Amino acid sequence: MPFDPATLDAPFAALKAYDWTADAAPLKTIDQAAIAAHADAALRADLEKRLCGILGGGPSRAAKEYACRKLMMIGTAASVPALAALLGDKDNSHMARFALERIGAPEAAAALRTALGEVSGDLAIGMISSLAARRDAASVPALAALLQGDATIAAAAAEALGRMSSPEALAALASADPFAAGGLGRAVVDARLACAEGLLAAGRRAEARGVYQALLDAAKGKPAAKEVELAATRGVLACVDASLAAL
Amino acid sequence: MVRVILRPVLRIVTALLVAASLATAACAADDAVAMVVDLIGRDDAAFRAIGLERIRTAAKGEAATRTFAGLLATQAPERQIALVRALADRGDSAALPALAALVGTSQDASVRAAALAALGVLGSGAEVPALVKALAAADPEKGAARRALAILRGSDAAGQIVAALESAQPGLRPVLIDILTERRARAIVPALTTFAADADPATRQAALRALGAIGGAPQVGAMIAGLLKSPAGAERQTAEQAIVAVCTKNTGHAEAAKVFLAAFRAAPESDQEALLPALGGIGGQESLAIVDDLIASPDAAKRGFGLKAISRWPDASVSQRLLDLVGKTKEPTERDLLVGALIRIAPLRDNKLSDGQKLELVKKTMALCDKEDERARLIERTSAIRTIDSFRYVSGFLDTPALAEPACKSVVELAHDRQLRDANKDEFTKALDRVIGLTKNQELVDRANAYKAGKTWERKKG
Repeated sequence: MPFDPATLDAPFAALKAYDWTADAAPLKTIDQAAIAAHADAALRADLEKRLCGILGGGPSRAAKEYACRKLMMIGTAASVPALAALLGDKDNSHMARFALERIGAPEAAAALRTALGEVSGDLAIGMISSLAARRDAASVPALAALLQGDATIAAAAAEALGRMSSPEALAALASADPFAAGGLGRAVVDARLACAEGLLAAGRRAEARGVYQALLDAAKGKPAAKEVELAATRGVLACVDASLAAL
Repeated sequence: MVRVILRPVLRIVTALLVAASLATAACAADDAVAMVVDLIGRDDAAFRAIGLERIRTAAKGEAATRTFAGLLATQAPERQIALVRALADRGDSAALPALAALVGTSQDASVRAAALAALGVLGSGAEVPALVKALAAADPEKGAARRALAILRGSDAAGQIVAALESAQPGLRPVLIDILTERRARAIVPALTTFAADADPATRQAALRALGAIGGAPQVGAMIAGLLKSPAGAERQTAEQAIVAVCTKNTGHAEAAKVFLAAFRAAPESDQEALLPALGGIGGQESLAIVDDLIASPDAAKRGFGLKAISRWPDASVSQRLLDLVGKTKEPTERDLLVGALIRIAPLRDNKLSDGQKLELVKKTMALCDKEDERARLIERTSAIRTIDSFRYVSGFLDTPALAEPACKSVVELAHDRQLRDANKDEFTKALDRVIGLTKNQELVDRANAYKAGKTWERKKG
């Protein structure tokens, strides 16, 4: 039975006035509509438009968070501008990313990349994390550039590149110092190891071994780098095992 | 035509590809072995641990095993032990020559012990001479060699140990017999029948113990000969226990009991005296007839043997006889012997009586007890009857100061039975509170508190 959009008027009126302490019962109709929208393109477009309307202006943070959760389920490229507008807002940025991370449209990734160039501090780390979650290959140059800046941001960028596990990400990490002070060096090592594991899992044994070997060479003679050497040694042995198993 | 030309070319290409693949495999395997060798040689234990783990689980093949085993010669003792254990875990017998060499060359007893243990894991009958030789050493080598011989695999292992037993010095024979018994090696049985009457007491005892574990009817004659050769005391008791086990527990025990009874009847009177305790331990109607005759004998010595035999009876089938005999005897020593037998038999788990009948027998026995220590023993043993009636019976003695302590022990023992305790929670709680107030035994207090709180209690081992 098709969902009647007219039934959404009252719930959306309630949503506009909604706050943490309010009765959430009226929102159940919107929940049901979000489920029904997967099989009803017209309903989906209508619902998306109404939810985007909540994101701007007056509604409370609770209402915006609710709208973001629903857009995470049904959002398309049409939602991106409204969500992108929240990325710089410290109260709503994380919920907007929550939706943009999961909206498959390339516009969503582009919005996150753009925001990465505009925000700083924790908000920037959030953008990096969302781009990593999307495995967004196009963000690799931007992430690579961040490896040279603020140590906390650089560590987050290194971790993101590690999660991507692509040759491009690996190339970007190759220029970063695995023994840099603070958390950056550890993040770079973890990222390189993650890339190598990804390569090995993909059957690219020689490349994986190259990553492990490079870490081994870099760690040699550095007493503080014992953990790196141990991890890389295990990695090389895993490559040898994989080579023997493949024969 | 084209096919005819291409066929040899394809063959050559295939052969080249196979050769290349084999070369790559060999190269990768060499690579893996070389890395392990490097890791084992590192000063840092964390890297050596990776190498040892690889030896245990990876880089398969005999050639690799020989390479790893070859490292033993260059390592310090502590590292040799770790490497030996890893080689044992690897499970490749290709390491055996290096391990055997280490047993012969190492100056460190712990290293030699580790190598002997590894021989037990990896070896077969061929390792028996080296392991038997090590039995003559001191611990830890002796213990390692003993354990190794007990677990040694291979169809020829037991046969080799039996051969070693036959030519071993007397001092080693008991150990080898114990090892073969642990292996439950049937091949040893013929040799055991000879050793059961050996001139060396330790060999004799070990052989009788072994026959008690793995012997049957055909060995009863030899066991009787061994028993008769054993002096009274601990050695005689070992022989009796072995015969009783063969005639009551082992496979074919009924047949074994028949053989024993026939031998008993045919034995001279002096030997029958020595065999009577075993006869009592075996029990059964035919044994009872013999014992009854002895008890009825006007010869005081014979009557004494009969009473000793009946007092060792394995079940409660003789309980009425025991009660009658206690009622009739005027001899205090006879009375003590018979009451002691009733105290032992009444609550026996497998005495063929119902729980109610057991408790009735306990009560009748209690009426015959005229010493505090007899009453105390009976109260303690009553806890083997796991019923609320026996609990109520022993609880009644909490009010008797001289018997309060054994009653406390019995109440706590019965409370250990969770099913019984939970089904009668209020009664047990009251009794356990009384135990806590009465007993001087801290362990009983701890147990009583634990049971009251619905907890369990782990019995101390040993």
